[in-house]
Amino acid sequence: MFSPRPMKHVLLKVLTEDLPQVSLTLAELACFCPDHRDLPEAHFTHIPGERFRELHAQASSRLHKITRYFQLDTQTRLGGVHVISETELEETNRWLGEVWERCSGFEENLRRMNDEKQLLAQLEHALENFGELNIDLGLLQGERLFLDIHVGMVPRANVTQLKEAVALADYLLFDYMQHGESTHVIVVGLKGAHEQELRSVLDTAGFHALPIPPELQHEPERVRTELSRRKQALGQQLQRQQQEILSCAAEVKASLEQARNTLNMAEPYVRIDTAVHSSGHLAVISGWIPARDIQRTGQALERALSNPFQLDARTPTADERMLVPSYMPDNRLMAPFATLVRQYGIPRYGEIDPTAIFAVTFVLMFGMMFGDIGHGLCIALIAWLARKKLGKFTLFTFSIGLSASFFGLLYGSVFGYEQLFDALWIAPLSDPLYMLRVALVWGMAFLVLISVIAIYNRIIQHDLTHALFDSNGLVSALLYLSLLFGLYNLYANGRFGTATASLCILSLLLLFAYRLIETHATPGERMLVAFIETFETLTGYISNTLSFLRVAAFSLNHVALAIALFSLTNMMESLHGQLVTLVLGNLFILVLEGAVVAIQVLRLEYYEGFSRFYSGDGLEFRPLRLNSGVSG
Amino acid sequence: MPFPAAQTYLKTRASIMARRLFSAEQLERMLHASLDDLASAFALREIFENNPSPALLNRAAERALIHTLMLELAVLLRPLEGSARNILIHWTRKFELYNLKALIRGKLHQLPFEQIQSDLYDLPAMIRLPHDKLLRTENILELLRSLERSTFADIARQARQVYEEKNEPFSLDAAIDRSYYIGMLRRVQRASPTDQHPLLQLVGTLIDQQNLIWLLRYRFSYLLSPSESYYLLIPFGRHLRRERLKRLVNLERLELVIEQLPEGLRSCMEGAQNPLDAERRLALETAVQTRKSLRFSQSAVTRSLAYLVLREMDLKRLYALIQGKALKLSEPLIRIAADMPPHSPEQTYPSGGSRV
Repeated sequence: MFSPRPMKHVLLKVLTEDLPQVSLTLAELACFCPDHRDLPEAHFTHIPGERFRELHAQASSRLHKITRYFQLDTQTRLGGVHVISETELEETNRWLGEVWERCSGFEENLRRMNDEKQLLAQLEHALENFGELNIDLGLLQGERLFLDIHVGMVPRANVTQLKEAVALADYLLFDYMQHGESTHVIVVGLKGAHEQELRSVLDTAGFHALPIPPELQHEPERVRTELSRRKQALGQQLQRQQQEILSCAAEVKASLEQARNTLNMAEPYVRIDTAVHSSGHLAVISGWIPARDIQRTGQALERALSNPFQLDARTPTADERMLVPSYMPDNRLMAPFATLVRQYGIPRYGEIDPTAIFAVTFVLMFGMMFGDIGHGLCIALIAWLARKKLGKFTLFTFSIGLSASFFGLLYGSVFGYEQLFDALWIAPLSDPLYMLRVALVWGMAFLVLISVIAIYNRIIQHDLTHALFDSNGLVSALLYLSLLFGLYNLYANGRFGTATASLCILSLLLLFAYRLIETHATPGERMLVAFIETFETLTGYISNTLSFLRVAAFSLNHVALAIALFSLTNMMESLHGQLVTLVLGNLFILVLEGAVVAIQVLRLEYYEGFSRFYSGDGLEFRPLRLNSGVSG
Repeated sequence: MPFPAAQTYLKTRASIMARRLFSAEQLERMLHASLDDLASAFALREIFENNPSPALLNRAAERALIHTLMLELAVLLRPLEGSARNILIHWTRKFELYNLKALIRGKLHQLPFEQIQSDLYDLPAMIRLPHDKLLRTENILELLRSLERSTFADIARQARQVYEEKNEPFSLDAAIDRSYYIGMLRRVQRASPTDQHPLLQLVGTLIDQQNLIWLLRYRFSYLLSPSESYYLLIPFGRHLRRERLKRLVNLERLELVIEQLPEGLRSCMEGAQNPLDAERRLALETAVQTRKSLRFSQSAVTRSLAYLVLREMDLKRLYALIQGKALKLSEPLIRIAADMPPHSPEQTYPSGGSRV
């Protein structure tokens, strides 16, 4: 529960032809995490399955693109599990290619129709514009004897440059209207030598000709009818296209789901990737398996393979500890807390997993800082009502709500009212100094626990020097404890104590000496660095302890906010106003203070806790699995 | 970092890094050094292990050199923020645009996936196109539709025209380059007043070079009309602006174009026999102007950009040397590829740390 499961490094020697079956079996067991390091054996240099991976990548990409058009049902279970051969994958890829070609055709048609739609809109605008002009549009149409005239549109950004460019070919450009990103232009010049040149420039500038119907001036209604007919036809075309897409979706849906299954079953061999090396008919797969699953893996392989295989397992060496993935078993109760811990990092292999400690201390501290039966029950109720949206965070929200209610019971507080019943322990505002003392003691206990974990983590990594002398090591913890004891003596009996002072000084000197040895610099710089770092260790403990005063401060703050709210409520003359103020005020406390307290607790956990013992740079155990949802 | 401190830090950084630029003598020494020595001197030994084929070697060397440039860019970016940072990041986008060109060309010519992939630069995430997604497109139309939904919609439009009307792809290249330089100018216009003028001068110099190269190619190699050539140019250079460009595109011979250039450009181009020779001379002049920015500019970001421009020139030259040696080319050929003068090291070089 407190540290990742013991792990074994395995070398699985199989026949190359069995690799797809082996990958599938390992994925079904979901307990094998590939190790992608190069093998020490020089003759195992080839990484097989390159073509298989390429086919899978292409087929997955095709399936992903196709599912933008044809929605597939969410996959819950993978049926008919079998080994996917390269031929089957190739066939699936080819079929997906055909389907994607159809989809691509639809996409291109839709794009073309969209272009057409935009062109019609531009034309409609242009014609409205021309309709209001008092000119003979006949002059702009058809072939002229002396003039070369082009009416159309260009992207707005190109107009200035185009105007100057056509001028070089003795043409004039008039822009008469802007619509969207397009500018409508008329280009006029003398017929002759530059006609071809102009066409080329216009093409390069993205010029789109707008045909002006000859009837526009005399029969505008007919032109409008024609435009509307074209729009209607386009609409129908679009509808037909969408109908076609739907019928295609219905036609291929079952096969697409089958293709998705095929890709999911092929995926383990793809994911194993460089963890397998081969030489001729022999292949070696390397990876990590939890120690307790070794036997199960061997048995499963025996059942699945007809050919012989060899499974060698060994304990990770000290050198490769950093490379061993940490297997943290899924636990429904701890899942939300584990997510928050993972935000900080993954524990190194062998290190203590802080999830359980985090869960207990987070819930306790939240309750201490936000102790109120009413508000706590509201949070619990919200968690229950919004359980579908909150998902795995339901339990988290529910537990902090219950914790707040429990401390509300101890503080005797219901929605800020402290007169409804007697506190089982203490009303925070009745003795603030006591509350601060409690918070300090809690902080000290928390830091001592953290130091113990830090020392343990160093020891299991065989790093005795740091376990003793690091800023969270044994000597630092002794310094902290002797200082606390001395200060307590000073407070209670008026003297620090010679033995305690000697222990303090000795610890300080040891830490200073260690820093001196550890620092590589010139003597002067070495002294300075050692002094500052030793001093920092001392001040770090003091400031971290004082940080926990916020636990008490927020419990007092909660009461103070409630008092402010009651004062505001009393200022309201009408009952209605009082009710509204009370409800809104409580909502404000619930949302704002609740959020601030949650952030403060998280801060205490991360900065006062995790940063002292938890490196968070471990590797997560990600086993080969079937149906990981990568495909499609 | 406060603004004055960042400026001072960046100027110092750029000055220190400027020492890495190659001098004429260094280039000569590199030309005569063995491939092994070059690999050791530039930390490229790893890519020569296992005797890779010339194609693999080229690719690995190119990647390694771009990686070097990106690392140096990261150092220069560190103290920068806002518009100044955006300018340097935008400058590096040119590599991504090379990739975009390679992708579109590859799909236009229906090249296989692996071949297109091998033509792409490996770039850092901040300027990287979603290669895999674009590479996985099955044909040019699908690629264009993907690009139309991205920030490259204008380039996609131009590419569609190239595809549908079977135009020459240089209009596509021109559209990509135009969009790159106009993007650069927009960012410069958003820079702080102290940076704006020197940056405009430097970027203007780069645009002048680009414009002149394109102009010569359009008019004398592709035989485009003056109006189309003008349309494809960027009229916001330092010396070559609208009116001058209009005059230049109307000229029928290289000598006439050179005659009509402003003094600085004319003197460096005088005597050029053909567009290729003219391009080489132009590169020299651009390097001289860029070196001035690196040495004298009051703006730290201008100095940084100038350093990156010069460093890219140097690394390209180093790449040409490695490539030439790997392919066992003759010295004169390598000199041409590396933009080095025929023999004498006394002649001017497009770059050179000793001159900075």
